[in-house]
Amino acid sequence: MTLLQWAFDGLLGITLIWLAWRTLASADLFKAIVLFIAFGLLMSLAWVRLNAPDIALAEAAIGAGLTGALLLVALARLNVVAAQTGDIESNTKQISAPEDSARTTAVVGQGVSNKHNLFQYFLVLMLSAVAAGLAYAVLSLPSEAPGLSRDVAENLNVSGVSNPVTAVLLNFRGYDTLLEMAVLLLALLGVWSLNRLPEQYESSPGLVLDMLSRLLVPLLLLVAGYLLWVGSRAPGGAFQAGSVLAAAGVLLLLAGWRPAARFLGWPLRFALIIGLAVFVSVALLMMLPGGQLLQLPPAFAGALILLIETAATLSIGVTLAALFYGSRPRSEQIPPHHTGSGGENE
Amino acid sequence: MLIVLPLIGTLLCFLLPRQVKALGLMTALAIAASAVALLWQLLQQGAMRYSVGGWGAPLGIDLYADGLSLLMLLITATVGLAISIYANAAFKLDKLVHFWPLWLLLWTALNALFLSADLFNLYVSLELLGLSAVALVALAGGSAALGAAMRYLLVSLLGSMLYLLGLALLYHSFASVDIAILAQRMESTPAVWAAMALMTVGLLLKTALFPLHFWLPPAHANAPAAVSALLSALVVKGSFYILLRLWLEVFPLSHAAPGQLLGLLGAAAILWGGVQALRQTRLKMLIAYSTVSQLGYLFIAFPLATTMAWKGAMYLLLSHALAKSAMFLAAGNLLLFGGHDRITQLDRVAQRLPLTLAAFALAGVSIIGLPISGGFIGKWLLLTAAMQSGEWGWAVVMILGSLLAAAYIFKVIGYAFTQAEVTHEACEVSKTMGATAFVLALAAIVLGLIAPWLLALMDIAEPFAMSSAALNAGAAA
Amino acid sequence: MNNAYLYALTGIVLFTLGLYALIIYSHLLRKILAINIMASGVFLQLVALSTRARPLLDAVPHAMVITGIVVAVSATALALALMLRLRDASGSAELIEESTE
Repeated sequence: MTLLQWAFDGLLGITLIWLAWRTLASADLFKAIVLFIAFGLLMSLAWVRLNAPDIALAEAAIGAGLTGALLLVALARLNVVAAQTGDIESNTKQISAPEDSARTTAVVGQGVSNKHNLFQYFLVLMLSAVAAGLAYAVLSLPSEAPGLSRDVAENLNVSGVSNPVTAVLLNFRGYDTLLEMAVLLLALLGVWSLNRLPEQYESSPGLVLDMLSRLLVPLLLLVAGYLLWVGSRAPGGAFQAGSVLAAAGVLLLLAGWRPAARFLGWPLRFALIIGLAVFVSVALLMMLPGGQLLQLPPAFAGALILLIETAATLSIGVTLAALFYGSRPRSEQIPPHHTGSGGENE
Repeated sequence: MLIVLPLIGTLLCFLLPRQVKALGLMTALAIAASAVALLWQLLQQGAMRYSVGGWGAPLGIDLYADGLSLLMLLITATVGLAISIYANAAFKLDKLVHFWPLWLLLWTALNALFLSADLFNLYVSLELLGLSAVALVALAGGSAALGAAMRYLLVSLLGSMLYLLGLALLYHSFASVDIAILAQRMESTPAVWAAMALMTVGLLLKTALFPLHFWLPPAHANAPAAVSALLSALVVKGSFYILLRLWLEVFPLSHAAPGQLLGLLGAAAILWGGVQALRQTRLKMLIAYSTVSQLGYLFIAFPLATTMAWKGAMYLLLSHALAKSAMFLAAGNLLLFGGHDRITQLDRVAQRLPLTLAAFALAGVSIIGLPISGGFIGKWLLLTAAMQSGEWGWAVVMILGSLLAAAYIFKVIGYAFTQAEVTHEACEVSKTMGATAFVLALAAIVLGLIAPWLLALMDIAEPFAMSSAALNAGAAA
Repeated sequence: MNNAYLYALTGIVLFTLGLYALIIYSHLLRKILAINIMASGVFLQLVALSTRARPLLDAVPHAMVITGIVVAVSATALALALMLRLRDASGSAELIEESTE
């Protein structure tokens, strides 16, 4: 390692910490989110430095991009509601840090506000101790450890793909990924099970956004397809491709596009679950010839992984875009709507 | 397969929302049947290890089933089936379309969790479990439930983060996240101690051991009854199960001081939870605090760390799952019936809902630990274990806890027989709902009668023997 | 010697920073941000230490982190949706201590 590299890594580490701190401490929530997105982008840089381009892609697309979009749209909705109830104050510009923590103390139930400083100092002290202990534990680890790199390398040629990360995700530890797809679906089910929020896209998207989406969406679709295809041998894969697909969806949603009602019922549900459905079916089919659950035979592994990933990409993309949209689509005709009149929740 | 079945059920329920009732129930029956099939297999051939994808640990993920996981799966199937039936009767269709997919995902998570031998896989299962539980709490709607769900979500995520950080340390120490391999390679290093501390705290947070229990009462009390029952009976047990596995197999070197600490926290939980329960004015809050108290008992086994103590804790866990779910369902019936769950205004429900009240009383018998109930066997084993080790302190706390439990249970039953000042219009409660609660409570009692058989099941692959062997070795050295 | 420890330590600092913010701030959006920062810290530490396998590449932690990132975005989405509903129902995006009644 050259000195320059050390300096770069050191600087990156410090900047990350500084950005994280600014994100958390900034008085303005909007600014906090923007800083968080910047933090995510710098994280991708760190992943590149750590030789993890797959994660860098995932972090940039999901960690910074989509999470950022989710946060921003949530903040916007928070403010709309605030405007409706008449206290914009408390949301955007609120909360200089000390005032905020005073509230926390009240929330934690520590009682009167002049006690909170003591609590804060105590917490800082405790957490510093924790951090120091953890740092000691990390530093005590031996400086060289192969991990599972050899096992992965030895089995890579029978995994059906040549990108080791994809091999681990879809083959060696495919079961984790199966459950992870379930988590993603679960998030959507959870969001849909909540009451609908009032529709808030009142403003027309404007010409620029409209043009931009016309230009970008086809490009994003291409990129998604490419990432999916290339994932078997180079950085990329279903999650990265899926999130790029979701980005296209988000852009369209922002531009005011809404899918026709007839696509929102069954077709939408189908698209949401196809990833998991294909994954589970493949997993089970592999048991027919006497194999274990999810045991992909080397000869077909490549093709099967591509099949799973294609379905997964579609589902991930649609799910993430639907999460961005935020609530159950209105035109869904499943059982009589129960949402009472606005304020009253059942 | 126990994991794939509920997953398929979820997908079907999501695709065909109109048929959720039938589809869900069919899935529930199928899961229960396959749990029984697993029991049969284990009885035939002892513990089973299964390599998903055929790779085997450390590269792949292994599943592992022994007596401990089997019992957890069986109890999940029993309680799950009962709650499925109850939910179909209690929720309207517009809730059911959301309830079923979420509940089946939760079931997936529980089954995955009890079968997995891989710590990272357990992390994913834990997240699946936590998020589905949160979504189910939020199903109740209203600001109290939403707030409770939000708090629960944050706590759950924090717990997972702590767990994951500990897991990272373990992986980088031993190049594996498989429980069996870690157990072989285990040695006492700073990284291992840090990992143990992180993972234990993370899991305790999710298991709501005193003083990390603050999130539990609001979450369990504000959820719909069927969900409360699930949470108290099964979900908190999920993280406890991982904790048990970790302490029994991965960190057997650590029974002395940390075990004492867990025991002390457990004792504090028993007393604090009991006292708080007694002070509550709302029935569901009372039951929720009772859960805090009963969870404390499970941790008394950690300082004792003998086979008998572990079995006692396990027995208590099983009977608590049955009794507490019965109690929450009964409370749900009372809530529906009277429109409120204020204890002092229960107004002679004894005559109006005899089955529900009987369920509550029977469940109470097991919670208090009166003879022939499952709770009695569990407490008896724990008490005996404490006496044998000559540690009287634990025994005293346990008995005090039972007295507190008796006090708060009788408080409720007393009000149920007296006439309240406020009479209210009664809502109809379907027979199914009373009956399911009653069956669960009855099962908690029956658990006391089949003790020899259950204790034999626990011995499949002797999950509890290892630690005491290690302890004896330590004592001999 | 390589940059493994440097990034691992950065990860730990991020983790503790997030934990501090999670406890101290009451606005839910901040708490959600804090959890995300904590997660980044954990992921960073998990992958950074795997570079000790150099010149080989240990892909297992990489896959774990990708899984973790997806889980994190799912949790964030659910948390944000809950926050908005809570705001709708109670008029505040902060958690209020419930009375033990």
